[in-house]
Amino acid sequence: MSIPLHVVVQGVIIGLTYGLLALGLVLINKTSRVLNFAHGELGALSAVLLERLVNDFNFPYWPTLALTLVTAALIGAGTELLLRRLFTRPRFLVMVATIGLAQLLFVLSLLSFLQPNEGARPFPVPFTLKGHIDVFVLQPGHFVILFFAPIAALAVALFFSLTPYGLAMRAAAENADSARLGGIWVRRSSTLAWAIAGVLSAVTAIMVGPFRANVFAQALGPTLLVRALVAALIGGMVNLRVAFVAGIGIGIIEQVVFWNWAEPSTIDAVMFALLVGALLLRVRTLGLTSRSEEQSSWQFGAATRAKIASADRVLVGRLGMLIALAVAVVLPAFLSNARSFLFGQIFIFGIIAVSLTILSGWAGQLSLGHFGFVAVGAIVTARFGDSLPLPVLLVVAGLVAAAVSVLVGLPALRIRGLYLAVTTLGFAVLATGWLLPHKQLGLPDPASQRVGRPSLLGIDLSSERSYYFFALALLIVVVIVAHNLRRSGVGRAMIAVRDNETAAGAMGIRVTRTKLTAFAVSGFLAGVGGVAFAYSLFRFSVDSFDPYRSIFVVSMAVIGGMGSVTGAVVGAFYLIGLPAIFGYGQTVDFLVGGFGLTIFILYLPGGLVSVLDKIGDGVTALWRGRVRAPAD
Amino acid sequence: MTASLDVRDLVVDYGGVRALDGVSVSIAPGTIVGFIGANGSGKTTLLDVISGQTRPGAGTVSLDGQDLADHLPEDRAKLGLIRSFQDCRLYAELTVEETLLVAEDARLHIGVLASALRLPRFGRAERAKRESVDAALSALGLDRFRHNVIGELSTGTRRIVDLATIMTAKPRLLLLDEPTAGIAQRESESFGPLLQRLHEVTGATICLVEHDVPLTCSLCDRLVVMEAGRVVTEGTPTEVLADPVAVAAYLGASQEALSRSGLARPRRRRQLVAHRTTVSSGVTTKDN
Repeated sequence: MSIPLHVVVQGVIIGLTYGLLALGLVLINKTSRVLNFAHGELGALSAVLLERLVNDFNFPYWPTLALTLVTAALIGAGTELLLRRLFTRPRFLVMVATIGLAQLLFVLSLLSFLQPNEGARPFPVPFTLKGHIDVFVLQPGHFVILFFAPIAALAVALFFSLTPYGLAMRAAAENADSARLGGIWVRRSSTLAWAIAGVLSAVTAIMVGPFRANVFAQALGPTLLVRALVAALIGGMVNLRVAFVAGIGIGIIEQVVFWNWAEPSTIDAVMFALLVGALLLRVRTLGLTSRSEEQSSWQFGAATRAKIASADRVLVGRLGMLIALAVAVVLPAFLSNARSFLFGQIFIFGIIAVSLTILSGWAGQLSLGHFGFVAVGAIVTARFGDSLPLPVLLVVAGLVAAAVSVLVGLPALRIRGLYLAVTTLGFAVLATGWLLPHKQLGLPDPASQRVGRPSLLGIDLSSERSYYFFALALLIVVVIVAHNLRRSGVGRAMIAVRDNETAAGAMGIRVTRTKLTAFAVSGFLAGVGGVAFAYSLFRFSVDSFDPYRSIFVVSMAVIGGMGSVTGAVVGAFYLIGLPAIFGYGQTVDFLVGGFGLTIFILYLPGGLVSVLDKIGDGVTALWRGRVRAPAD
Repeated sequence: MTASLDVRDLVVDYGGVRALDGVSVSIAPGTIVGFIGANGSGKTTLLDVISGQTRPGAGTVSLDGQDLADHLPEDRAKLGLIRSFQDCRLYAELTVEETLLVAEDARLHIGVLASALRLPRFGRAERAKRESVDAALSALGLDRFRHNVIGELSTGTRRIVDLATIMTAKPRLLLLDEPTAGIAQRESESFGPLLQRLHEVTGATICLVEHDVPLTCSLCDRLVVMEAGRVVTEGTPTEVLADPVAVAAYLGASQEALSRSGLARPRRRRQLVAHRTTVSSGVTTKDN
């Protein structure tokens, strides 16, 4: 291994951007107790605006920079205003809401008046400095990073140590009510923190602008996010200085690994190791900050259920299910091949969403990397699909995915709160970046893996229609299994441990076993979903398991109604079925996803299933009225 | 079924604060022992150590002579050592029925496969569990709350659900941490007979931490007075309330506080208070 100077310099430059991102994450976690997945997007719009104004309207650089930073501050403050109504709700929801907002902000940057007049052109920089160290040529953009990042970091540090605002923000985050009584204007201090985060994010976006092929790329994709999160976690999510320095360190490690092994996927593995290491090393500090989370999860989600508990209400529910099932069975007769495929995808994603519901909705372990487990099932399919009969393959893939899921879940035994989400996200990145292309797995062509569909009970599944019925049948089995588990001690224990781990333990529930069971069951079903997913595509590649898909599945569970098995299926229908019926389009897709997700969390926290519950209640009441009316 | 508890020389430090400083208590099977003392005197910490939530820096806890050092809270629960918590949060999103079933689940675990596929083993166990839960629900008059989720209940109802859960768990040694905290005086008066009944039904040895002195005195065979992590004095309620050290430890020396608690009265009256019977509910205490 060799470490030449220019590699270190390159690492420092990249690390500065990670450090600055980490700074923003820590800032928001410190003041609002939110793991802000929208951080990268807060300032993304500013970079686009700067590029457009300077390149197309010949605005001078510095005043425009000031203008765009103010814009970012406003976006940050505006985001806080939107999210504020969620701050008393479970942290879980706030976190998912930031994911929705990230997508929403991304769509905003696609607005037509922000689009450049012509195609690719250089991102504006304020000066034309150049230099070189050995073979590494320092572009003006590199100097922008070297100047801007330290200044921004220093400004934040000084702000926190020299002004009373820093202390006020921390007090407000610890206990908003007490701080308010103590004379702190809690709202203003929280808004201010988000405005600062917006500016930090904008500075980052403007720094990395010159190095991006396309300004409109997602500012903080999962890969970048994982690096920033590792740095923030090394700082225990509270220490600004440590997080910033850790960011620089990660940049250097990354460049050194890249220089010596020239294998980008190795970096993903290194990052995952760093991530788990940081989590376990910082378990104490993180535990301290998550204590308030635990209390605020007193009301976990919106418990949705029928308000009427009686035999006829149950009957109405079953009737609704039967009608849905009947429609699903008759539907293929009216569908083209392509449409059959899309509707089949609803069922497959339904399976995956149900598996997520068990882990996140019941056991309270938010998984942002569920597609990593799906990928494991798919890998097993590609490897053994030809040699094993389908039922055996489903079980084997399920068991392998369950084992992997338990491994990923092990840190959850030590860490309370939502930090497991970070591990799972890291795993999703690892699975696509490192696991899938790995040659040891014996996949002949990881870039585009062919999987021929098998037959089941003498029925050839290669037609879309027969595959549709296969996926439907599999979904029904999975739903029944999940339903049974929810009505058993296994499901009850998961929810009890989630809601009150100490009390459940004191009552004799085995906390560790319960958590690992949740991971195993969820992983098993995700693996089964992986088999169905791999076969449905005929041919899959690394892109089929993009980490964004994991977030898509989280959206399904939330939009459908977190914790509800029916909700998971309804969510899958909403997110895949609607575009399937009304046509696909990337913007429409994102609007349905990000915008829909945000709106649902803010205004319909119970999800679509709560609407279904109300309809069911109404039908029951009507029906009862009919039956009883003559007697009255 | 009942158990004896023996606690020897417990020491617990929270950072620089010594929460327990050499506490030793022996509790005979089938008795009710009350722990009183000012806030911060170490009562809850003592319960935490006994039930396994907190590891002691030194000292031992043994149940029926068995050392519990290597037992997790859930292992202790399996031995019949059950506790309630001061906050009584229970499980916000489970229904009352499910909350009681959790106590049953802890005693009879049915695996994932049997549960997912509804094997006969699962059906039999589930029926038995539900029968036991039904009994507890109707014994405490909770039938109409059966399908309510815990999050919707008032603190008072939640405390009764907590007692029902404990009844379901069939404890041999029961630790109760302020079972009347946060509920109205009128409701808390009805707790005396409830606790008495719980004691009779389960036969458990009970350690009770409670600030309601009259209630504690009426229920307990013995009182242990704690101050600053130490046991100051212990004895029957009559002995303890006659001890000026004990009274000072709990209430301070202020006359006002004493009279409010019904303690700063002539000695005979004090004994009456100590053995007050809860006539209103029709359940009488042991001095009858």
